[in-house]
Amino acid sequence: MLSIKNLQASVEEKEILKGLDLEVKPGEVHAIMGPNGAGKSTMGYVMSGREGYEVNEGSVTLDGVDLLGLEAEERARAGLFLAFQYPVEIPGVSNLEFMKAAVDAQREAKGEEAVSSKDFLKMAREACKQVHLPAEFLKRGVNEGFSGGEKKRNEIMQMLLLKPKLCILDESDSGLDIDALQVVAEGVNSQRSPDRSFIVVTHYQRLLDYIKPDFVHVLSDGKIVKSGDASLALELEEQGYNWLTEQREQSA
Amino acid sequence: MSDWLGRAVSRAEQVSDWLSPQRQASLALLREAQWPTRKTEAWKYTPVHVLADAEFAAAANSELAAAEAIEGLNSIELVFTDGVLQSELSQLPEGLTIVPLADASSETRQWAAEAFSAAKPSKHLFGLVNDVLATAGVIIDVAEGVSIEPVIRIVHRIGKDCEAHNRVLVRIAKNASVTVVEDFSGEEKSFNTGYAEYTLAESASLEHYRFALQTGAALSVGGSHFNLADKAQLNSTLVGFGSELSRLDVDVNHTGEHAFAKLNAIYLLDGNELFDLHSTIEHMVPNGTTEENVRGIVADHSRAVFNGRIHIHRDAQKTLAELNNRNLLMSRDAEINTKPELEIYADDVRCAHGATIAEIDKGALYYLRSRGVSKAQAQIMLSFGFINELVDQMPNQVLAEWLRPQLRQRFANMEVK
Repeated sequence: MLSIKNLQASVEEKEILKGLDLEVKPGEVHAIMGPNGAGKSTMGYVMSGREGYEVNEGSVTLDGVDLLGLEAEERARAGLFLAFQYPVEIPGVSNLEFMKAAVDAQREAKGEEAVSSKDFLKMAREACKQVHLPAEFLKRGVNEGFSGGEKKRNEIMQMLLLKPKLCILDESDSGLDIDALQVVAEGVNSQRSPDRSFIVVTHYQRLLDYIKPDFVHVLSDGKIVKSGDASLALELEEQGYNWLTEQREQSA
Repeated sequence: MSDWLGRAVSRAEQVSDWLSPQRQASLALLREAQWPTRKTEAWKYTPVHVLADAEFAAAANSELAAAEAIEGLNSIELVFTDGVLQSELSQLPEGLTIVPLADASSETRQWAAEAFSAAKPSKHLFGLVNDVLATAGVIIDVAEGVSIEPVIRIVHRIGKDCEAHNRVLVRIAKNASVTVVEDFSGEEKSFNTGYAEYTLAESASLEHYRFALQTGAALSVGGSHFNLADKAQLNSTLVGFGSELSRLDVDVNHTGEHAFAKLNAIYLLDGNELFDLHSTIEHMVPNGTTEENVRGIVADHSRAVFNGRIHIHRDAQKTLAELNNRNLLMSRDAEINTKPELEIYADDVRCAHGATIAEIDKGALYYLRSRGVSKAQAQIMLSFGFINELVDQMPNQVLAEWLRPQLRQRFANMEVK
């Protein structure tokens, strides 16, 4: 499904990703862990087409489509979804209006008809319910005045409506208490299916108690330095990330 | 003196009613007044030459379609056509008195004469014209402690080639509250001056809207002016479209302590339209608060002028005042002249002001696009959101629901160039 090969990218001429390789098959859940500054968030931004993130080398394909040649909106329509670590607040644009525009645009790209406002409202209310957001949040400005936890749940709510092929969750656990964490995890788990894959980016093992990964990768200094199964996450939890620095120093 | 002004002065000499002493004072000032030119600071960016030699029929009686009601709005409608009141004033809620200027009782005349031009600055040429010619208008009086549930909506309509001058005087007694909407529209060649003066007594509360939605050749100069006594609360929303000449003056005078004024203003301009908003906030006493947010979108060859002055007098310690003007330019040919002014003579105050010509926020744009919304549509959503944010803040959501599609429609016709 997703194939990342030798991805090298920089921000403001600083090299962040230094040859990232990752293969994700349909239905798989991959966790990416690693210390701060390893390039975890950059990976999501580069894949989703954020301005200012320069790709120097490598390729990213989703079901054979070269994502790097597409505009941000085209990548989304190709089935990519990034749940942001820090979702922006957009006063004046309602959550409902935003999601209706997004769903319509994605349906149009697939040659499907737009959903009626009435049906969409029903779908959106259902999605809110699933992530325990009151329906009135649909009327509010996008993320406007939402708490940290509400913003994260709002991201998952969007994912439920957009039904992407590949979801990248960028530290969707940060700043959440255990209840909110479970809500986020339940939302994600409800969407697991044989044709949908997830990349769960996280600093801590905690989220992986609730979203069981098939594979765990350690990202350090812009590339994956170790891969394993779910037990690797527990190992990391115990050892921390200091061994990475030591390893790097030895190899230097 | 322009031809138009000359005619206005000679017509004013014929006016005779219970407001004559006030009118005479203004007429004296008007005779001395200079016709505004580019060198007149208050009119620097707003040429009035379209008016100089224009001729209009006074006191015509145009056949206009009935004013449209606002769906779901519980309102008392006062409809003026060419300055003439069309509505019957019957069955008003208890504590509310509304009378045409001409019919004021002697008791009402007494306070109304005092309130006349009390909140409005006297130096303004068109304000003076309104002083001397506005025989049409109403006096609205809200009794002590009364909360008026229905919205008072004053609809002004002016027919083709007509000229009208309208004056509204509102007194809100202690602990009373009311909502007043001043609703102007039309696009045919015409001219009107519409001035409203509000006197808020101690702890009185006013929710105010002025929809200055004249476009095309409908020339309009007017103002809304407020005097706030102790602990009075003002929440005002102004919305302006532009026309060949559209000028609005808003003055808020903090005459009592602990008064609170929130002013939100929106303008949305297209074509060759001009809209000029001048606001002056006078903090004369301590402990007043003003929050003023002005946002505009200007497209095509249109032009916006904003002059926002906050004057904090020597005694007005502990004043909190914020003034912000943000603009979005949709075209290289559009123009914005913005000038926030703070004049502070007290030393213990908290004030902030700023004006920006903004671009669309890149982070927000990326966020919308990352969900599949096209760049073009995301730009439209964000630009509209920029003004819609103030519509969202309108306390009366029925009015917001009525206004939003009109703004959306206008916005949809604008082009990004």
